[in-house]
Amino acid sequence: MEVFAFFVGGILPYITVVLFIFGMGYRFYVWAKTPQPGRMTLFPAPDSLAGGVLAESLFFPSLFKGDKILWLFAWIFHATLALVFLGHIRVFTALIDRMLLAFGMNPEGIDVMSATAGGVAGVLLLTTGLLLLVRRISVRRVRDISGIPDFSVMILLIAIIVTGDLMRFGTHFDLEQTRVWTVSLLTFSPIVPPNGGFILHAFLAMILIIYIPYSKILHFGGIFFTQALVRRR
Amino acid sequence: MSEETMQSGTNSGTTFPKMTRETQKAPLDPESIIKAIRAIDDGPKVLKLYMEMCARCGTCAAQCPVYFGDSARKYNPVERSDLIRSIYKKYCTTSGKLLGGLVGARDYREGELEEWAEHFYTCTGCRRCASFCPMGIDNSVITRKGRAILDAAGITPETMSKVVQISLDTGNTDGATPEAFRAAIDFLEEEMKDEHGIDIKIPVDCEGVEYFYVPPSGDVLVNPEATTGVAKVFFVLGMQDKWTMSSRYFDGANYGLFTGSDADMKADNKPYIEEAKRLGCKVLFMGECGHAYRIMKMIMEPAKWWGDLPFKIINCMEFTAEKIKSGKLQFDKSKNPQPVTYHDPCNFGRSCNIVDEPRIILEASCQDFREMFPNRGENWCCGGGGGLSAMDDIIDFRMNIAGKKKMEQIRATGAKYVAAACSNCKRQLSQLMEHYKEDIAVGGVHDMLSRAILVNGKAADRVSYEA
Repeated sequence: MEVFAFFVGGILPYITVVLFIFGMGYRFYVWAKTPQPGRMTLFPAPDSLAGGVLAESLFFPSLFKGDKILWLFAWIFHATLALVFLGHIRVFTALIDRMLLAFGMNPEGIDVMSATAGGVAGVLLLTTGLLLLVRRISVRRVRDISGIPDFSVMILLIAIIVTGDLMRFGTHFDLEQTRVWTVSLLTFSPIVPPNGGFILHAFLAMILIIYIPYSKILHFGGIFFTQALVRRR
Repeated sequence: MSEETMQSGTNSGTTFPKMTRETQKAPLDPESIIKAIRAIDDGPKVLKLYMEMCARCGTCAAQCPVYFGDSARKYNPVERSDLIRSIYKKYCTTSGKLLGGLVGARDYREGELEEWAEHFYTCTGCRRCASFCPMGIDNSVITRKGRAILDAAGITPETMSKVVQISLDTGNTDGATPEAFRAAIDFLEEEMKDEHGIDIKIPVDCEGVEYFYVPPSGDVLVNPEATTGVAKVFFVLGMQDKWTMSSRYFDGANYGLFTGSDADMKADNKPYIEEAKRLGCKVLFMGECGHAYRIMKMIMEPAKWWGDLPFKIINCMEFTAEKIKSGKLQFDKSKNPQPVTYHDPCNFGRSCNIVDEPRIILEASCQDFREMFPNRGENWCCGGGGGLSAMDDIIDFRMNIAGKKKMEQIRATGAKYVAAACSNCKRQLSQLMEHYKEDIAVGGVHDMLSRAILVNGKAADRVSYEA
């Protein structure tokens, strides 16, 4: 366990950063340089390419037209995921807290706000994640095209959400330990947080991040490229 | 993809015709197939992106006309695209090389190519999936790649490869000679004389004029009213000496798009560009043929196949709609009293944004124009897209599966005439009406204009029209 915790807290973060940045960088480089002679625009196309791609990435309007129920699950899932990602900044640094304190909030207020927003997000993520999984199993046209990679990514995500929710709704988690951890990682002298639940959560999350550039969750990032090709006027 | 996913659905009764294999073409060995799939890494960019970007959400299937007609597993667009995607993963992705079947990668199975033919020729290439896909994945691009690999191996449906060859040999997909073309034009001029009592010319092989009209050959030989419509527009505008057709190059249809062969598509396209240059036209004036216009406007021109062109490319419907808007053309709508609807051909609607123009023309020339829903960029394919319309050996598939949704859509309008600016759509739609025993005429857009446009203040003097 000691060894595993040190691996997750002291070594894996560096591997994750390198593999993710290298993987995504390489993808973007290859996509950018691959030639596209003809135009593949789908009409009606938006007046502004950037606006169109941004709209697709933020609100999934094409999916909304195509499958309203999936849109509801998928949009809440992705939007909450993005918010949770932003919320995690507090896990790594006290900067946000200091800013909020400077704006006149008190520490208890920050905790209540964080607990409320984080709690709602945690429940929403778990609910929509499970709904997406249920849809994948119960709708035949989706089940037919679902394989090990699709289920494994979904299960990995749900495991991350569950371990995160356990910390959110379980015994109080002191953010000081992860903030110390962040600084220690930046100075290459890792101090591993002593919380087993956190180690498991971090382990799964880093596996997911490493997996992004090499799997179907590449659509994070890739969507800008595919959408740019079909929305260009 | 597992072995299991390769099996076709159980509720499909359609059998697919055997393809005859041309032995003089490239060998069928697995190495050649794998090499062709690895070449995806060199582009085009869309295809490369589509190899890895699918989230497998199933939205495409819900929006596919073929899957609507029969929800057999083999008609799920993702399933079809996976034929290539899974082999690409095996050879071109890190995860596929390392994890194989765990990430959906698999090897090419010897002899599998023969099965591909059915899969890739039951996609109509209509791009409707792409309009609804959250990632913007256009399965028709993968279908075309599959057909390209098949074509290189000599496995293209006979009907289709014949059309390509005839077009390369004669310049048109009907194999008509310049003499036959001239005879057809003479006939059309006589028809117009009967209709209006005056000479309305269709200029042929005139050099130095502004507009070079390139319709699909069907609009000269099969449903020629579209061409008389165009001739009348030029006549009314006093531009009779400003346009021409070519007695050798009068057919924009280009089946290289459908067989997947870029070489054939370019070879078929080239003489048209040369003819336009030889005639010295300023405008390549494309007729009511969606894929022909798309190849010219969205593929050939931006990809600069033949460098910078000394002429513009426009569609005849853009020209006519513009003249109607500026009040230069008048109509007697009572000549077209029946309810009329418009079917957006995929290549005009989704791919080229020619959607308002046909409606302007139909609303100006018909008493009762009705929309069908959904329409424009979201329109359902007629079921004969991607060249399938020419294949009579799969007519059961086209009628009972691919065209099922279209038939429902047309019925709901109550229209008695369906206009479609595309010879392939028109053929498929006519066959649908016959198959489903519907008394609904099918024709073009300028056809309706031709019946109602005022020439010297008078519309065509004609009692009835067959279709």
